[in-house]
Amino acid sequence: MANNKNKLKIVPLDFVVLAAVLIFVAYVIYRIDSVLIYNWDWSVIPGYLFRWDEETSRFLPNLLIKGLITTIRISIWALILSTIIGVLLGIARTSKRLLPRLVGWVYVEFIRNIPPVPFLFLFYFFISSQIIPHLEIRETLEGLSPGTRASFELLIGPSNLVENFISGVISLALMSAAYIAEIVRAGIQSIPKGQTEAGHTVGLSRMKTLRYVILPQAIQRVLPPLAGQFITLIKDSSLVALISIQELSFLAMEIAISEQRFFEVWLAVGFMYFSVCFACSLVFNRLEKRGAMR
Amino acid sequence: MQNMVKKLGARSPVADVAQFFLLITVLGWVIWRGVDQMEYRWQWYRVPAFFFREIDGEIIWGPLIYGLQVTLYAAAWGMVLTLLIGLTTAILRLSQSISGRALARGYVEIIRNTPLLVQVSIFYFVLQPILGINNPLWTGILCLAFFEGSFASEIIRASINSVARGQWEAARTIGLDKRRTYMNVILPQAIPLMLPPLTGILVNLIKHSAILSFVAVFELTTEARNLVADTFMSFEIWLIVGGMYLVMTILLSTVVGYFERKVRRRA
Repeated sequence: MANNKNKLKIVPLDFVVLAAVLIFVAYVIYRIDSVLIYNWDWSVIPGYLFRWDEETSRFLPNLLIKGLITTIRISIWALILSTIIGVLLGIARTSKRLLPRLVGWVYVEFIRNIPPVPFLFLFYFFISSQIIPHLEIRETLEGLSPGTRASFELLIGPSNLVENFISGVISLALMSAAYIAEIVRAGIQSIPKGQTEAGHTVGLSRMKTLRYVILPQAIQRVLPPLAGQFITLIKDSSLVALISIQELSFLAMEIAISEQRFFEVWLAVGFMYFSVCFACSLVFNRLEKRGAMR
Repeated sequence: MQNMVKKLGARSPVADVAQFFLLITVLGWVIWRGVDQMEYRWQWYRVPAFFFREIDGEIIWGPLIYGLQVTLYAAAWGMVLTLLIGLTTAILRLSQSISGRALARGYVEIIRNTPLLVQVSIFYFVLQPILGINNPLWTGILCLAFFEGSFASEIIRASINSVARGQWEAARTIGLDKRRTYMNVILPQAIPLMLPPLTGILVNLIKHSAILSFVAVFELTTEARNLVADTFMSFEIWLIVGGMYLVMTILLSTVVGYFERKVRRRA
């Protein structure tokens, strides 16, 4: 193995692999054409991507694209919120005192050991019924002038769904924060101890050492896994479909049912997720390499 | 000197632990009050019946126990299939074969770059009718196995790659063929390395099987959702179910930790 790392050639295994793939594809085609007698109709998809607007006479995004935008919006907000919580927890986990370490540890283990679905149901039920109504967000938004409201809607989506949106962001961020805390902790702990000692020696306090010596170095190491966490968030945001937040997966579910086109809709939506996540990972990889070369 | 200063300034852990429990108590109280303000009626006395009921001296298992059984069944069979898929993928990725590597790479990229929920939907709504699987539970198990298999393949590949290069060279020098190099030299060293992270995959299987509640698989989360729909006891049921998952995963994580320490001691 170690000696054939870069040598690629056609070996007997290729024939086995190709034969297996061919048999599988042939079986799938046979089942679709002869047993299920399924008539593909991809024409439903474009209509849900864009629609022709008569009033402005141009194409406007329709449900699937809107869903994708909501997915990305939720992911970005959840990333911001969970980075804030995660950095605090990560610092707490490297603290000298036991109390912050204990709080950080319990939080991280708690989140990592409970499946996201029950967690979402529990927290959504609590947040959406306890916290969100008291904030009167929708009322505030509706009282704004149309111009300011439009710019807010660009950031957080249609104002009639805003409470739902915020519940989704908070639930996702609470989950993601545990993973970011681990990323930050690893980043801080990867900085050699001598740096902390040097900081103390030149007379910096513990907070100042953290702020001026440790964190600037740790951030460089933390950025690549943090970018990866954004991709994870895009994928995990599909879970909030279970609590009826109208992002891509939720709309896919509705369109598939109303059109009775499960094959086409789910494959198309899978492709949409794949393109976004794969593109992100290519971009992040390139940025990381460029950063490493500098 | 430095050490002595630290020791003199060190606080007793008792105070911190006490503060921690105080914090938890306050937090719990705040949540409790919040729930009370919703005029939520706690009905904990109804919970035991969700586990089992005793009628005429006969024990009848409740929905949560049935759900737990399905979850564990899915996780166990999922693990077997995950290992098979992971091993196959790892072999393909370590091979020289062009199409083998391309297939493995494509599989891993597709799994990594799409949400599990969408994979479950595609398995359930698309592949199940196409492949003619007539049991949603097995569709779910297959989907979970393909999902975790991509991670298992990385673990297996990384452990094999982490065996020192000299071991390969040594095996070749004493004239072992490829098969015997793997069986007698590489795998005995690689397998202890992969055991802890592979147990971690079992934990993930239990966690991720909750997503199967999205389709018609009657595992723990589905049973819980049905109970919530029937009784409106959201808090009790989700707290209990969350606790059940927590017990399972923490038990397994403890086992992983034990394995890891053992491996590290040996290394």
